[in-house]
Amino acid sequence: MLSTIVLYSFAYLLLLSGLLFLFILARRLLVESRERKDLRLYKEMERELLEVWTSPSPSRAALEFARRHRSRPRVLKLLLVAYREALVGQALEPLKVIFERTIRGRCLRELRSPFLATRLQNVRLFVDFSRPEEAAHLVKLLNDKPVVRLAALNALTGIASQDTLAVIFDGYERDPEPNFYAYSNVFNSLGQRIEPFLRTSMRKPLSPDKHALLIEMAGRLLLRGLYPDIVRFSLSPVKEMRIRAARTLGRLLVPASRRTLIALAADPEWEVQAQAIRSLGNLQDWRAIPILVKALFSPNWHVRYNAGYGLAAYGLVGVLQLQEVSRQKEDRFAADMATMVLDTVVLTGGAA
Amino acid sequence: MTDLLRILDTGFEHLILAYFLFINTFYFLFNVLSLAGILRYRRMVTYVRFGEIFRMPIVRPISVIVPAYNEEAGIIESVRSLLSLRYPVFEVIVVNDGSSDGTLARLVEAFDLRPSRTVFRKSLPTLPIRGIYRSAVQPRLVVVDKINGKKADAMNAGLNISRYPLFCAVDADSILEKDALLKVVRPFLEDPERTIGAGGIIRLSNGCVVKEGQVVEVGIPRNWIARFQILEYLRAFLGGRMGMSMMKSTLIISGAFGIFRKDLAMACGGYRAASITEDMDLVIRMQKHMHEKKKPYRIQFIPDPICWTEAPENLRVLARQRSRWHRGLIQTLVRFRRMLFNPRYGVAGMFAMPFYAVFEMAGPFIEVLGYVLFGSHVVLGQVNAPFAVTFFFVAVFYGTFVSLLAILLEELSSHRYPRPRDILILTAAGIAENIFYRQYLSVIRAWSLIDYLRGKNEWGAMQKRGFAKAGQTP
Repeated sequence: MLSTIVLYSFAYLLLLSGLLFLFILARRLLVESRERKDLRLYKEMERELLEVWTSPSPSRAALEFARRHRSRPRVLKLLLVAYREALVGQALEPLKVIFERTIRGRCLRELRSPFLATRLQNVRLFVDFSRPEEAAHLVKLLNDKPVVRLAALNALTGIASQDTLAVIFDGYERDPEPNFYAYSNVFNSLGQRIEPFLRTSMRKPLSPDKHALLIEMAGRLLLRGLYPDIVRFSLSPVKEMRIRAARTLGRLLVPASRRTLIALAADPEWEVQAQAIRSLGNLQDWRAIPILVKALFSPNWHVRYNAGYGLAAYGLVGVLQLQEVSRQKEDRFAADMATMVLDTVVLTGGAA
Repeated sequence: MTDLLRILDTGFEHLILAYFLFINTFYFLFNVLSLAGILRYRRMVTYVRFGEIFRMPIVRPISVIVPAYNEEAGIIESVRSLLSLRYPVFEVIVVNDGSSDGTLARLVEAFDLRPSRTVFRKSLPTLPIRGIYRSAVQPRLVVVDKINGKKADAMNAGLNISRYPLFCAVDADSILEKDALLKVVRPFLEDPERTIGAGGIIRLSNGCVVKEGQVVEVGIPRNWIARFQILEYLRAFLGGRMGMSMMKSTLIISGAFGIFRKDLAMACGGYRAASITEDMDLVIRMQKHMHEKKKPYRIQFIPDPICWTEAPENLRVLARQRSRWHRGLIQTLVRFRRMLFNPRYGVAGMFAMPFYAVFEMAGPFIEVLGYVLFGSHVVLGQVNAPFAVTFFFVAVFYGTFVSLLAILLEELSSHRYPRPRDILILTAAGIAENIFYRQYLSVIRAWSLIDYLRGKNEWGAMQKRGFAKAGQTP
């Protein structure tokens, strides 16, 4: 009885394994055959696409290309995405024509798909081929899942008219759970043209987190016109605002900011002190050197670290100060930090 | 008395059948979920250009921390592989945890290391550091030499010295694929506020050919123990972890390749030095922390960033490794027992922890009991036919079916075994592991409870052969 059970079960197992193996093989054959076919089609379409650019009338040739290949969306999408990567400027126009005449309608439909992956795929196509009038479709996706929202934001930056900018900032101000990382990428991509929008948003009563990102962006994009607003934030009772203000002042490098930074270097919070010290180092104002040397003796590691590198940024004058601190015996921590910074500076200099 | 024995016997039979039925059904469901997850992931990344991270103005830099203890055989290949990763900003911190072999000397020689007087903030307590070295040829490389204090202590030393907001834990006997960081960091870019950790898949490098720090040819080893482990890893990562991740129940991100938010790991006190499975311990503590702070979070498993690692090829070393893993599991579950069935900890408390406690921790004892019972029935000539048929069906047949599904998941996810012969060998391994291998591991894991109760806390050395070079026969 037992041997029969084992025998039958073993036979079933073998059968099951064999079936699985055959299934994998059959699937491979199917997939490989489809891939071969797609590759052949891709090469054929690629050759025709290259002819579009060399034809006397690229737009007419693009229309003809679109008419011929409308029924092959899968390969067409791959081709468009690959060529979008390689081209810029006017050369993109035929691709946009082909996109609009072939898969644009389908993409718009699929942006409303209940499946996340489908929405994401189509947003990605819009990242490359979107037009200003299509912003409304993408704005709706700002309430979608994080991954779709990020892609939609990226797509919006590609069609940055004044209206789109207003939509993006409005979205930011209203967003109950903003993805700061995504917004910072978007603002960065938009560049200095966001200054008026940034100023308006900064003056509105937003949450500290939202203000913090706006302050940060002013520094990253070197928007010196926002300097008075940043100084205002340096007096904020919120620690995070003061930290951001100190960091931004260290990027804007407005000479008048020395006083504000010196005041922030005496802040009761060490995080603010550390940031202000680093910014004073960036400012390269020789009158700040004694403050940096004093900060090298701070009980806080971060403040000492920033003071050390801040002094090194002054070049020879700073290096001499660091050498002096490294030789003194009263404060071992300050001496260690100065030695480490000197080591790094010398090593980097040697490598360069 | 005989009646009582018969009742007990029947009771055990039912318990064993129920156990196998439930565990295999859970794994089957995990496989189904994984299948859905893998297909969705594949569709989602169709038009993703992983290289776009290079163009992003603000990218989160990563500190790759590599604890190394007696790794002279493969450390150079590993570090080379890490230094050649595609990622905009990262540093590699190798922590030589008091190796008694030539690990440090080989690193010094290969990367022209020079002593550095780096001053760092000792945020996490660790055993003393003997020296910090920087490479004159690889500015991204930092090597820390410290007194031996086990992996958790070495990781904490690496965390103290690391500079970046994300850190990636990588084993010194592992090789990351070039795009692994670009792929594994995506959850942190897409949902930076909530993502606290992410992990990729661990694959076995036995049988593969490694050239210049990269796996250039994937193959199946000749050793059957390694073959069984390939299947086990596929089952555990593509089936189990992907499925658990889909259910938001990830409790383990492998210490061999996982990426975490540094601020959170620091806030939780870093790695716990006394822990045997420090990776699981940290992930659970991070989740506990987030639940207690009432902050939403997510931990994601991603099926295609691959980390290749070497598996033991003899039973003694394998037994030591599995015993340690199981003792670690017991230790961690006992330590966090308050989370068990505690609704305060969400899915982690109500599903993941009980699942690990019932099926992973207690599972081997029930399995061993099943084999003993079945064996004793055979010896005494009292085989209960319905029990035997059902036992074979739910334990062996169903179990093998679930194992074989893992091969299918591999085929659908990264498709790393191009030769049909390799698939055939893996399928054969799926059947052959039922003869001795599974039973052996069950006994080892069951025995580890006794070791745990006896207070055994040792790691057990693993002999490293180093990675097979191109041209060498694996």
